[in-house]
Amino acid sequence: MTDERAVGPVTDAESVEDLLDGVRDEGLAGYNYAYLDEHTKREVRRGVLKAIALPGHQVPFASREMPLARGWGTGGIQASLSLLGPEDTFKVIDQGSDESVNAANIRRLATRTADVETTTDATEASVIQTRHRIPEEVLDDEQILVLQVPITDPLRRVDGSDDANRQRHAHGNYSKMWVALYENVVEYGEIKLSSRYPVLVDDRYLMDPSPIPRWDVSKLDDADNLFLFAAGREARMYAVPPHTDVEPLAFDDRQFQVERFSEQACEYCSSEDTFLTEVETDDGNRRYACNDTAFCEKRQTDSELSKAHHREGTDHAWGPPTDPNVPYETDGDREEHRTADASRGEEE
Amino acid sequence: MGYVAVEAGEDVIQRAEELFEKQRVAGESEQVSVEQVDEQFTRLTAQAMSEGGLYAPRLAAIAVKQAQGDTAEAAFLLRAYRSTLERWGSSTPTETVDSFTTRRVSPAYKDVPGGQVLGATKDYTQRLLDFELTDDDGIDPTDDWDVEAEDPPQLRNVMDVLREQGLVHDPAGDSDGGEDESTDETEPFDATRDPVTYPAPRSAILQELARGETGAVTALGYSELRGYGQVHPTLGEVRTGELPVTIEHPYTGDEVEVTSATVTETECVVPIYEKSDDPQFSFGYGLVFGRNERKAIGMSILDAAIQLDGEGPAQDAEFVLDVVDGIDSFGFIEHLKLPHYVTFQSILDRIRSIRERTTAASADEAPAPREVNADD
Repeated sequence: MTDERAVGPVTDAESVEDLLDGVRDEGLAGYNYAYLDEHTKREVRRGVLKAIALPGHQVPFASREMPLARGWGTGGIQASLSLLGPEDTFKVIDQGSDESVNAANIRRLATRTADVETTTDATEASVIQTRHRIPEEVLDDEQILVLQVPITDPLRRVDGSDDANRQRHAHGNYSKMWVALYENVVEYGEIKLSSRYPVLVDDRYLMDPSPIPRWDVSKLDDADNLFLFAAGREARMYAVPPHTDVEPLAFDDRQFQVERFSEQACEYCSSEDTFLTEVETDDGNRRYACNDTAFCEKRQTDSELSKAHHREGTDHAWGPPTDPNVPYETDGDREEHRTADASRGEEE
Repeated sequence: MGYVAVEAGEDVIQRAEELFEKQRVAGESEQVSVEQVDEQFTRLTAQAMSEGGLYAPRLAAIAVKQAQGDTAEAAFLLRAYRSTLERWGSSTPTETVDSFTTRRVSPAYKDVPGGQVLGATKDYTQRLLDFELTDDDGIDPTDDWDVEAEDPPQLRNVMDVLREQGLVHDPAGDSDGGEDESTDETEPFDATRDPVTYPAPRSAILQELARGETGAVTALGYSELRGYGQVHPTLGEVRTGELPVTIEHPYTGDEVEVTSATVTETECVVPIYEKSDDPQFSFGYGLVFGRNERKAIGMSILDAAIQLDGEGPAQDAEFVLDVVDGIDSFGFIEHLKLPHYVTFQSILDRIRSIRERTTAASADEAPAPREVNADD
């Protein structure tokens, strides 16, 4: 099948030396537009279409070696480069930051080979590649969020074999995962999974949403934008198309919980409705700051800015605690919960 | 701003690259030329080609020089370059007996057809540091040898002797159930073009082993010998030589030799019988680019072990193939250097929450430290 393609040479260099000269050029002459050859990009796009058609299902694709180390976003960059055209605006974030070295490196590859405009503004980008975060600002139906994935299968937590796990997915047999969560509750009183929280997509496939914090999980549900997940090392991709039901696994008496910041606010913009990360300072203090640095900068000039400020006609923001549909437990609620637990314990 | 974690821009990356490059050129001695690497560090370039899955000695020499001798990095450079190239076609299958053999030893027999050819090896040399290398006079120790020009030896394959006696199991006759992929000789699986799923055809397993990281292939093969498996093979032969690469001429249809590749090949038999009514040796095969005997032997052990499909760790094809690739493992191991503060914040939230709960539940009992999973 792979031999039937008819694709022209990727380079018209006369010799290896010419080719090497090309590599030394700033614009990566000698390489195809957007680095990958056209056949590979077509293959990746076919995988993307299949992934969209089967929400949450892991589609194998022949992942190529990229000029980035495996595990550093090679799946994401293959998906991005296959989708990008010269008209696109590209944003890259790594753990919430546009300025992280790895994000800068990926952005540099895209600008050098695909000649795209780049931005740090999540509302301006047509394609956003991200590692472990979904932006605070709501994405719309013109945008694609490409998430880098280290581990493709949520069932890997309970069984290392992909062969066995593929059969479980085929049968919709997620009992081992449920038992693992139940054992968590028995052992710790609550589910101890932090990021990479398993979600059920369209009531069919169990999916690893990549190591986004639980804070971002609700954003996957019934979103306007397309989410693409791509893993280069594991050669799998999957998708959550717009307006798909995505539900984190939880029990009736043990609700899904997002990260809480116990009434902390961002050091810079004073936001209390964004995902914060803490830092221990040299003088022994602990401070909190917005993880989404680009949105934090906007909030610093306009502290009232809504996460849906750019979406005319709707003010429906996403994520806790801005989305009224997403439960965000205050510490008070937790106290009640704990008291209830304690009294139940006494009855037993 | 000291407490905003690892952040930098493109200029910082550029400077880091330049510092790395400076390490290579900062010494007082003359720069090593690509030709010198190609001719004098053939083991390094061979390992890079083998793990990179691209036979290109000169490109490998550039990669080794650029990577400052790091074979994993050099193999990675070759692979990343290779992935931008079109695959034009396949060479025709070649018999290794047609190779120009420079070394062939057979541990199975004292004497074999064609004889034992020791070739160039340090196997029987005492491993003493040669301090005379500090004043390398460049004298060729074989200058005064009196060697008559001979035709290149074409050595009969030792394993064929056993095969003729019907003693060796033929893996090509195996079936993984349903369609017998392994007997389809027209088009072997290409893991660089198609993702491997399990059960994988043997051609995919052999390809992935041949591209495996030398240390990983050696270690996993050793695990079988060390007691975590049963494969303790007898090597039919270990061979190094120049293997002709032939293709079908696009116009005439004739087979023409276009180049040759240095390869190391091993065939082994294992006294674990495939069938009790017709006992035959299990068979393992190893072939790697360049001179790398430990990897070829390790590969043959793993091939035999995987065919057994038993309980040992090296007998599980999925386990072996998932961990044997150096590009995958080094990339993911080193990715742990990347910032992880989002995921770590999420982990902190969990451990604090669980500790609070434990403290509240048993106020007079000190909470035991719990393991929190940081598996990303």
